[in-house]
This record gives sequence, structure tokens and C-alpha cells, in this order.
Amino acid sequence: MTAFILMRNKIFWRTVFLSPPLIVFSIFVLIPLINSFYYSFTNWNGFNSEYDFVGLENYTRIASDNLFQNSIFNTVIWLISAILIPTILGLLLALLIDSQVRGSNFFKSIFYLPICLSAVVVGQIWIWIFQQEWGLLNIIINLFRENSFEYAWLSKPETSLYSVIIAWSWQQTALSMVIYLAGLTSIPKNLLEASQIEGANIFQRTFFIVIPLLIPATIIVVALSMINSLKGFDILYIMTEGGPFHSSDTLAMHMYNESFRKYRMGYGSAISVVLFFIAVTIIGIYFRQLKKLDELYD
Amino acid sequence: MLKIRKFIKIFLINIFLLSSAQIIWAGGEVTISHYFSGELGKANFMKGVKEFESSSGIKMKDSPVGHEDFKTDILVRAAGKNLPDVFSYWAGARVQFIVDSNSLLPIDDMWKRDGLDMVVAKSVANSATMYNGKRYLVPLNYHYSGMFYNKSVLSKAGINTMPSTWDEFLSLCAKLKSKGITPIALGSKNRWPAQFWFDYLILRTVGPDYRHNLMTGKAAYDDYAVKHAMSIWKDLVDKGYFTNNSNADTWTDASDKVARGKAAMTLMGTWITGYWNGMDLKPGVDYDFFPFPIMSSGIPNAVVGPVDGLVVSANAKNPSGAKKFLSFMMSNPEVQAQWTDGQGALSANTKVDPTKYNTVMQRALRTVAKAEVYAFNYDLATPPPVAEVGLSMFSEFMDNPANYISILSNAQKNASREFKN
Repeated sequence: MTAFILMRNKIFWRTVFLSPPLIVFSIFVLIPLINSFYYSFTNWNGFNSEYDFVGLENYTRIASDNLFQNSIFNTVIWLISAILIPTILGLLLALLIDSQVRGSNFFKSIFYLPICLSAVVVGQIWIWIFQQEWGLLNIIINLFRENSFEYAWLSKPETSLYSVIIAWSWQQTALSMVIYLAGLTSIPKNLLEASQIEGANIFQRTFFIVIPLLIPATIIVVALSMINSLKGFDILYIMTEGGPFHSSDTLAMHMYNESFRKYRMGYGSAISVVLFFIAVTIIGIYFRQLKKLDELYD
Repeated sequence: MLKIRKFIKIFLINIFLLSSAQIIWAGGEVTISHYFSGELGKANFMKGVKEFESSSGIKMKDSPVGHEDFKTDILVRAAGKNLPDVFSYWAGARVQFIVDSNSLLPIDDMWKRDGLDMVVAKSVANSATMYNGKRYLVPLNYHYSGMFYNKSVLSKAGINTMPSTWDEFLSLCAKLKSKGITPIALGSKNRWPAQFWFDYLILRTVGPDYRHNLMTGKAAYDDYAVKHAMSIWKDLVDKGYFTNNSNADTWTDASDKVARGKAAMTLMGTWITGYWNGMDLKPGVDYDFFPFPIMSSGIPNAVVGPVDGLVVSANAKNPSGAKKFLSFMMSNPEVQAQWTDGQGALSANTKVDPTKYNTVMQRALRTVAKAEVYAFNYDLATPPPVAEVGLSMFSEFMDNPANYISILSNAQKNASREFKN
């Protein structure tokens, strides 16, 4: 009887504590997600309360949509860069700061600062840096040139996406650096000292001891970068709105354009469903590999 | 037990009283959302709102949104079935789109009751307020797009007579360029400012009927007529008559360049006067305008511009209060004069004394009155999905005008797809 009451209490408290996050998750994630699936089979325009079911028409349309193909291409570039750059730069900065160079605490705070800023603020800072007439970047370039250099980084299709990637990486690098710094504290000092006594130089110590021991931190950094970059919409919207003429459109931007600028909410929902499956597939593959790695370590 | 009953009774009465008060309060409140932000006359619009509140006793709950953000914000609210009672919108294809979506309330009863036929200029009423045989919009103001210029820049270059033909315009540009002044500023970062060039080049070379066909999908972007118009635009860019990197500038950046004398003129709507007046530039002294030059004889003289309107949503919680507000803002000449002055717009209210406009706006009024056709600008003349195709086409053209043939054929492919859907 006592065991039954205890069991009942356990279920009761579990329900009590799990309900609030579950309700919030359902309202803000689950229901909109189901709604998107539902609307992806309709021709809803966003304004009208009436719409028709069009079956798979929105999905077949995707196949012939050249702007969709363009946004897939940009999304691949965005994902690869937004994962690789912050991971590599974050690791380098963490190694530099950990090597106790002079003023490392000061630099740690400075490098960490961007993560405290919202994407809107980061976007505005970098819009100013990339501004063609009085932006910081062109001012610096002009110091080394005789002729005036007025390149519009964000308004040229060749550089718009990459300029946003730089701004994004600037912020994300701070996060990676902090995780790597935490990872570095867990590396046993005696191991490094022993290798030094054995004659290993700094590069050998870094590549054969430090980096392999930072694999758990790398897993977290890559997972966070991946999730953040898949969600990355705000900074693109602030800096380029996907332009000029779709040159920095990612899938999320394309979905936004179709839904809110062209009033094709049904088609926009179909794009969001595709984006959802891409995200689930990438994260699924990643965590499967992670599990294999865990088994290897065990 | 008695105490508990008494408590429940008091509790229920309180709830009833509170909800009744809320219903009465909601009945006396009208929600409104609009895109009249700082540079677009927000202060003067709010003065009109306050005057309506004090004269009617109806409270206006205002939530202004920036001009560019409004385009999506209103759709987000519509998608969430949370449209405000009243909202500002652009007359033409955009209002047609939401009328077709059954999202607006007809206002014929108010229009008739308050005698707006006697108030609103017929030309504007006919083109901007009727959709599917019913009235849905009050034209709060209208604009005219012309070539606005810095007077001192032109006079320093020895130019005192403004061009009326295309040849005169070309020689003006050549003269300015030879003196080291960039003739034309364009800020096409938000894409729409470039549309006025496309509109006028089409209207002046092939006329309003062809343009109407193009806007409705009966003509094609890769027709000879459009290619010809774009080739003229390309020549201007090739000759260096436009400011560099126009896709990096907004319309206010381009206006600032003209105001500061970095460029001589810009093709823009009359709202630029509101912006410049706010910078303490004197109309007719520091700046003026001339109409887009005539390019071919025998083509009806058309002017281009948008009409800003107010509409009532179909599910308005307070439709009668909303209609009262629309009527007040439209028919009160003082409010209209104050509003149009702040926004740098023209009033469609025939009772507004034209002498209340500044000299530049008085000339704009006369220019529109003389025109044979008042055409909505591109993104208000063609359905929204097609407008997206065209607006991107303009910024692509400004980036690489040499590619205009392939840009047009690509635009035609995308536009015809959007027309079919």
C-alpha cells in the first residue's frame, strides 16, 4: 500500500513538474509545427479564412522553383561556414588565452562580449562596419590605397552572404571559445608536463594531447553551432533581408519571402516542412555518430 | 456555510461587473495599426487621432509599425486572426488582394451617410476606393512622383530652365556630369524606389494601356517595348548618371545625397518634401521638382504615385467606431490639411484649401490635375507575388545593367508562373 502511495506520489510530482514545460513546448513548438504540416497541403494565402486542399501541389512546386534551389545552395554554404569558422576560431582563441599570454583575462572578457549581444545589435554593428562610404572596413582598406575604395559588401551578390557569415561567426566564436576554455581546464596538467619532459614541443602537445582530449567539448561546440545556424534567420533579415535579389536567401529566408511577401502561406509552409526534415536529418545523423563515438570511448 | 455562499455571491457579482465594464470599455475603443512612422508624418497623424478622440469620446489604441516592417506585420496579424479594427494600406492591387480574401469590411453605408461623394476628389475615389463593386477604403492622402532636385546645385551648374523633353533631360545630365556632379541619386536598397524609373519609362515610351497589360499579365517582360525602356535606363547608368552602389542606399540616403549636394536630383514621391521640410529645407527655395520628361508624342500624359488609405477589417470588434474614425480623418478639412502637410502628401479632400500647401506641393497638385492618367506605382499596380519578382528585377538591373536582356527573360518566366498560381 505504502509502495503504491509512493508510486502514485512520484507520478503526481512528475506530472506537476513536467506539465509547465510541456504546455509551453506544445503551444510554441508542437502546435505551430502541426499547423505548418497541415497548411502545406493547402493554398492558404494568410489573409483569407477560406482555402482549398491542393494535395502535394506545393511539394511538386518546390522541384521547379529556381529560388528554392538557390536557397538550398546558400543554406549549405551557410551551414558549413557557420559550423566550421566558429569552431576553428573558438579553439584557436581558447588555446591562446589558455597559454596565459599577458592580459589573457582581459581578452577573455572582450572576446566573450559578442555573445551577450542580440542578433539585431550584432547585425547593426556589422552593417556599420560594411557600409560602403564610411564603414570601418573600407576606411581601413583605404589606408593602404591611393584611390578611394567604396565597395558595398552587403549590397553585392558576390559578397552579401559571406559578409553575414562573418558577422554571425564573430558572435558564435565567443560561445565556442568559452566551451573550449571550460574543456581545457579538464585536461590533466601532469599529462602535459610529462609530455614536455619527454621532449614533446608545443605543436605536438597541442595536436596529440590537447585537441584529442577536447573532443567532448568539440561535440558540444559543433552541436550548438549546428542548431544555432539552422535557426539563423534574424541576423540575415537584419543585414540583407536575403538580398540583393535573393543572393543571400537561405531556406528560412525563402520561406519567409513566400509566406509574408508573396502571400503564399501554403507554399511557405511546405518549405518550412522541408527545412524541418533537413534539420531533423542533419541532427539525427550527428547524434548517431555521437553515439558511436561514445561507444568507442566507453 | 452561509459565509461561503455569501463569498461566492460577491465573487460572482464582481466578475459580472468587471466583464460588463470590459465589454463597455471595448465598445468605446478602436484598435489601429499604421505605417506612418517618424519620417512619414507620425506626429501629425497622431494629432488627428487625438482630435478624433476628444470629439468622439472613442479611444484609439494605436500600434504604429515602421513602413517596411508593416508589409509583413499586418500579414502576421491576419494569419493569427488578430487584425486591428482599422489599418493603413496602399490602394490598388494590395487592397484588391485583401478584399478578395474577404478580410475587409465594406464602408458604403458610412460613405453614403457622411456624403463622402461630395468630399473625395472623383478621380481618386474612382481609382482607389472601389473594389469588386463596393467601397472599402478612404483615401487618406495621395502622392505624386517627380524629379526632386537641389536648387542651388543646379543653379551653380548654370541650369535654370528645367527639362520637359527627354533630349533636354539628357543634356541636363551631361552638363551636370561634365561639371563633376552626379546627376541622379537612387536608393534601391529596399527595392521599391527603383520602380518609379521603370514606371515612367514604360508609361512615357508605350503608354498606360500597355503598362496596364503588363501589370495584369497580358503583356510580357521580355516584349520589345520593355526591352526598349530598359535599354534607355541602361544608357543612363552606363553614362554614370546614377550614384554608385544604389542598392546600398535607402530612399532617405539618396534624399540626403541630394540635400547635401552630392547628387543633383532623385525620382521620388512627394513624401520627400515632408522628409526635407523636417530637415529645415525650404520648399521652392532649397528644393523643387520637375515632372518626368515627355519621351514620345501622342502618348497620354500619366503621373505615378501611391494612395495611402485607411480600411476596416472584416472582423473589427468596433466597426461603427472604426467607420467614424475613417470618416473623421477623411472629411475634416483641417485634419486633412494638417496631416498632408506633415506627410508631404496631397489631400483627396476637395475642401482642403490648396493655398495651405507649400509652393512645391501646389505645383505637384496642378501637375496631377493636368495629367490624363493617375497610375499606381509598380508594386501597387500588379499583384503582390508578381511585384516581388519585379522589385528584385530592378535591384538586379541596378547591379548589372548589361545583363538586362537575360534579367527580363528571367523575370518573365517567374512573373508568368506567379500569374498562373
